[in-house]
Amino acid sequence: MSKAEFAIIGTGEVPCGIYPARSEFEIAYRVSKMAIEDAGIDKNKIGAALTAVHIMGSEYNTEMFFGRLPEAIGANNCRVVATTVSGGGSSFSIRKTAEGILSSGEAEYVLVVHAQRFSQFTPNEQAVFFAHAGADLEWEVPYGMTYNALAAMMTQGYMEYTGTTIEQVASVCVACRKWANLQENAMFRDKQLTLEEVLKSRTVAYPLTAMMCNVLCDGGSAYIMTTAENARKVCKRPVYILGEASDYSHRTITKSKMKDLGRMHEFYTPVAQRAYQAAGLGPKDMDIFQVYGAYPFANLMFLDAMGIVEPGRAGELVESGETSPGGKYPASTNGEALSFGHTGTGVGFSCFVESVRQLQGKAGRAQVEGAKFLIEDCGGGAFMDVHFTIMGNEDPNL
Amino acid sequence: MSMKETLKEKLGLTDKDFEKPLPKPTAWSKPFWDGANQGKLLLKRCKDCGHIDHPPYLFCTACSSEECEWIEASGKATLYAYAVNSYGVPFPFVEDLPYVLAMIDLPEGPRMISNVVQCDPEGLKNGMQLEVVFERASEEITLPKWRPVKGQAINLEAVRTINGEGNDQNL
Repeated sequence: MSKAEFAIIGTGEVPCGIYPARSEFEIAYRVSKMAIEDAGIDKNKIGAALTAVHIMGSEYNTEMFFGRLPEAIGANNCRVVATTVSGGGSSFSIRKTAEGILSSGEAEYVLVVHAQRFSQFTPNEQAVFFAHAGADLEWEVPYGMTYNALAAMMTQGYMEYTGTTIEQVASVCVACRKWANLQENAMFRDKQLTLEEVLKSRTVAYPLTAMMCNVLCDGGSAYIMTTAENARKVCKRPVYILGEASDYSHRTITKSKMKDLGRMHEFYTPVAQRAYQAAGLGPKDMDIFQVYGAYPFANLMFLDAMGIVEPGRAGELVESGETSPGGKYPASTNGEALSFGHTGTGVGFSCFVESVRQLQGKAGRAQVEGAKFLIEDCGGGAFMDVHFTIMGNEDPNL
Repeated sequence: MSMKETLKEKLGLTDKDFEKPLPKPTAWSKPFWDGANQGKLLLKRCKDCGHIDHPPYLFCTACSSEECEWIEASGKATLYAYAVNSYGVPFPFVEDLPYVLAMIDLPEGPRMISNVVQCDPEGLKNGMQLEVVFERASEEITLPKWRPVKGQAINLEAVRTINGEGNDQNL
């Protein structure tokens, strides 16, 4: 463990949902402005502008690859532009890129932006894209493989081999919805959800019902990152990156390093432990467990790895209500993909900026009182990788 | 009217939109697909270290050797986990709904994703024994699929219900 090197000093976010009239460019520019204002810095101090890839968005991506963002927001002293992508793990890999740029001394402040507008594509275009994102074109897609089927068979195996019940899986959706009901930017902020509704909704891919699957939507967020040393000078309540750890498993799900769906924690737990160790903190120190699983079984799988329950028992924990608002182990406090909304690579970003808001005391009705430390995760593809980050509004190693 | 005809009429689709995506064999996977065309399930084994790679890659993922041989698998396997697609699949698969996707473990080591066919999805059980069947998909491509071995002791306890609401809404 060593003292924190980097910190976040401001965030911006637009409401998540179906907003066809709001272009991805508008989202990117808007959240940039919000993050700069929230950080309280001059836009001309931005030294690097990093964008996440827009899933299926070739025009946006081309524009960002070739430097549209600094020009559009008037970041006149920006020296570096880049797009970083690794699917759902992008929120982590882009932050590592930002850290490298800050370490190089080429930039004092890095602006990181995500924007996505799925509503411009037809449901079938999205289904085809995600079938390919989650499955192998030669070995799986010809069999009618889809992303939901991938999650469904992993759910079926996780339940069978850990003894988790379908009610426990469904309780993740309910817990996420309760958090989303407290979030003004959540897609489902105004809609309640009961366990019965989750279980009785149409079967999409057995054992998954429609309410256990994500809705693709539009949204975006941004944040400003600087060195921890500088953050202390310019920000009243910076949020420090205290510990990080990663691991890669596979592209094709059949090549997963851990083949036993009842023992996935044996792959994930050591990574979470390395992140805790880097921060010099443990599960007991965490005030929030910011899980990004996208599908409810995956939310449980990552909770299993975070050290608060015996692996395989996360379903009992969520079912008990302890991860819901007011519970002892607040988890996924923006409702993550299931209820905040699935914006492609953006889910990791929305969980990350929610983490920053919580630790800055800016989380509104969802605020976990006195939150000081939290653990968050992200990962992408067909569960190809995992990244755990420990964040805090103070540095225990200073 | 069939699902396909309904979709064509409602969404202005053509037959091309319903063409199944088929494997495009690579230089290093072609022997697998050639084998499947002849009713054989082949696996790529490294001549130097004996490692079996599936999916196959350009060289052995264990020792990087490019010397390999193709061995015929037993054609038996175990069902590890499965899903039953019932709704929201790409157009070429809507007429197949519901269909089973599964993680299938071969005694030779590899795990494969494939369909379990000739079965009642409600009777599937993790750990059940499967055997390979070959389904010709085009002149060039035959897809190995799997079916439950007959006569095995399977507990058909109806603990799993497949929702039968129909699959044609909101597409």
